[in-house]
Amino acid sequence: MASSEKPSQSPKQSVGPDYRPEKQKPTATVSTEVPFENVTTLSQTPQLIALLTMIRDKNTDRADFIFYSNRIIRLLVEEGLNHLPVVEHAITTPVGRTYAGVMFQGKICGVSIMRAGEAMEQGLRDCCRSVRIGKILIQRDEETCMPKLFYDKLPEDIADRWCLLLDPMFATGGSAIMAVDVLKSRGVPENRILFLNLIASPQGIENFAKKFPKLRVVTAFIDQGLDEKNYIVPGLGDFGDRFYTM
Amino acid sequence: MADLTTQRAHYSPPWADVSIIGIAGSSGSGKSTLSHAIVSKLNLPWVVILSMDSFYKSLDEEASKKAFRNEYDFDSPNAIDFDVLVDRLQDLKAGKRAEIPIYSFAKHAREEKTTSIYSPHVLILEGIFALYDPRVLELLDMKIFCEADADTCLSRRILRDVEERGRDIEGCIKQWFAYVKPNFEAYVEPQRKVADVIVPRGVENRVAIVMVIQYIERLLIEKSKSHRAALKKLGQSAENDALSENVILLKQTSQVRGMNTIIQDIDTSAEDFIFYFDRIAALLVENALNNIYFESVTIETPTGNKYHGLHATGETSAVVILRAGSTFETGLRRVLPDCKTGRLLIQSNVRTGEPELHYLKLPQDIRTHDGVLLLDPQMSSGGAALMAVQVLVDHGVPEDKIVFVTYFAGRTALKGLTKVFPGVKVVVCTTVPDFEERWVESRYLGC
Repeated sequence: MASSEKPSQSPKQSVGPDYRPEKQKPTATVSTEVPFENVTTLSQTPQLIALLTMIRDKNTDRADFIFYSNRIIRLLVEEGLNHLPVVEHAITTPVGRTYAGVMFQGKICGVSIMRAGEAMEQGLRDCCRSVRIGKILIQRDEETCMPKLFYDKLPEDIADRWCLLLDPMFATGGSAIMAVDVLKSRGVPENRILFLNLIASPQGIENFAKKFPKLRVVTAFIDQGLDEKNYIVPGLGDFGDRFYTM
Repeated sequence: MADLTTQRAHYSPPWADVSIIGIAGSSGSGKSTLSHAIVSKLNLPWVVILSMDSFYKSLDEEASKKAFRNEYDFDSPNAIDFDVLVDRLQDLKAGKRAEIPIYSFAKHAREEKTTSIYSPHVLILEGIFALYDPRVLELLDMKIFCEADADTCLSRRILRDVEERGRDIEGCIKQWFAYVKPNFEAYVEPQRKVADVIVPRGVENRVAIVMVIQYIERLLIEKSKSHRAALKKLGQSAENDALSENVILLKQTSQVRGMNTIIQDIDTSAEDFIFYFDRIAALLVENALNNIYFESVTIETPTGNKYHGLHATGETSAVVILRAGSTFETGLRRVLPDCKTGRLLIQSNVRTGEPELHYLKLPQDIRTHDGVLLLDPQMSSGGAALMAVQVLVDHGVPEDKIVFVTYFAGRTALKGLTKVFPGVKVVVCTTVPDFEERWVESRYLGC
């Protein structure tokens, strides 16, 4: 078990809106910086930090855990969707003004890594009403300790779609790598996969960035690291358990 | 900060300089009937009656016993708490909320509860001694004295006291000769001398009623004119200013632009409009919450690690500016499902375009909240926004706790609002041309 005495490598900084003087902003631990261009971390606003504080706290009950993680997931999806292509599209408003807008282009689908990833489906549906959602079940093999693919059910035309891969906790990235391999084997190009997660480890991010340089990772927070059991530190415990059964 | 205060512009809501009309006269002379006739003819929510009966002094035990024996002199100026009356009138004159005591004739004491009066443009002060205290006289814009024959007064008084105040006829007559009549001669009648207008025959006097109504109507028109002129001047004075750093514009990401495109497209179906508007409203509320106050907190995760995070320092509530603000409520509930929500109805006058406050219901403890989100999807001239912020400030909410959340706003309106209230933060999705007509609410609500 990682001890709290371990010196924190994560940056502490004052968090708050620009107009507020530095002295009036409270300090908090913010996301670790990583040098990879294909990684997008949500803007470290005080509200995001407060939401993460809620879901990390062991005293937060399940109802609140579900509600607050959903709020972060929605922000993640909103950010993730920004990486999809758009085309210029001018329209006329009800008051006759013209607006040089944009139109979303291309089909998308969600792919959740069971079981924790399924917790992110609601947030995705809140932003994209009738999005198709595929599922992949990957479990750690008891004998080899390696992730093993047990089940998958994906849209047939997945090769023509942008894929939003969903898994809230990005620790070593073992199952996510396997999930990406599954998607690639179905013909999805790497640059059309977006991996959305709540909390990532620097190790997982680095593994991924090297292995899939064209794939975009969107995360709310990059933590300090992993403990000996490969749990994210400080993390939030087992997401699936806290969301579904605890 | 010093520099902000010097730059602050002044906004005076139409209720800041309430006109007060005093109506005095003998008991039973028709003061209250006249007041009600005036109010019902005008039929405007910002013309209200304040009866001086509310300001009877609470009686001690001895006086109370006398009162129940009909031996207490309610018709003397000594029975009235002029200090409290003057204090409340001054509050109203300053545009503040005034708590009016409720006097119980059954207990001869003030009730615990009070009635609030807030934001009248014209106040009618009615009571036998409305023109008595020189401090009150100074606050009055028009002084009316009602007159009626003594026998008319007596018979009206008997009918009222028996029906409404549960007294017997004998007691009424006893009071009349012991108190009412001598007091009338000593204190009530002399008020004639300070009156501007003397109205004989009370409510039957149609000419007098019409005259008073015309006077009030003229007052209201003047108030509306100067309010509109002040709003216009404010807009012009702010025109060349830079947008304040307290105005936070949503980052124009491709999703935001895409949603804006769907929301603004005249050909979008109602279903899509509502879906995308709710989505962007939730995003705006999420952004607004970055402007409330947080403090550092260290928590422990289920795996025994410590995390140094943040949590909000106090309660956050919302105030919806109706009707349009209700379009934000679905988005609000996605983010803050149980936050207390106040409501106020501000409508623009169809003829003059002047914003008018029609209804107001705020959480009791709003002044203690650490963040108050004020919701209105569009800011056109900014008049309604100014008025709404003024209402919150009048109710004790500090400016720097207010976050105004809007979807579309004109730059001039934004500048005006932040110039008058330099502590207020504004979260806005997109700026649009100045004075764009409001249309989001009718799109969202379908009418």
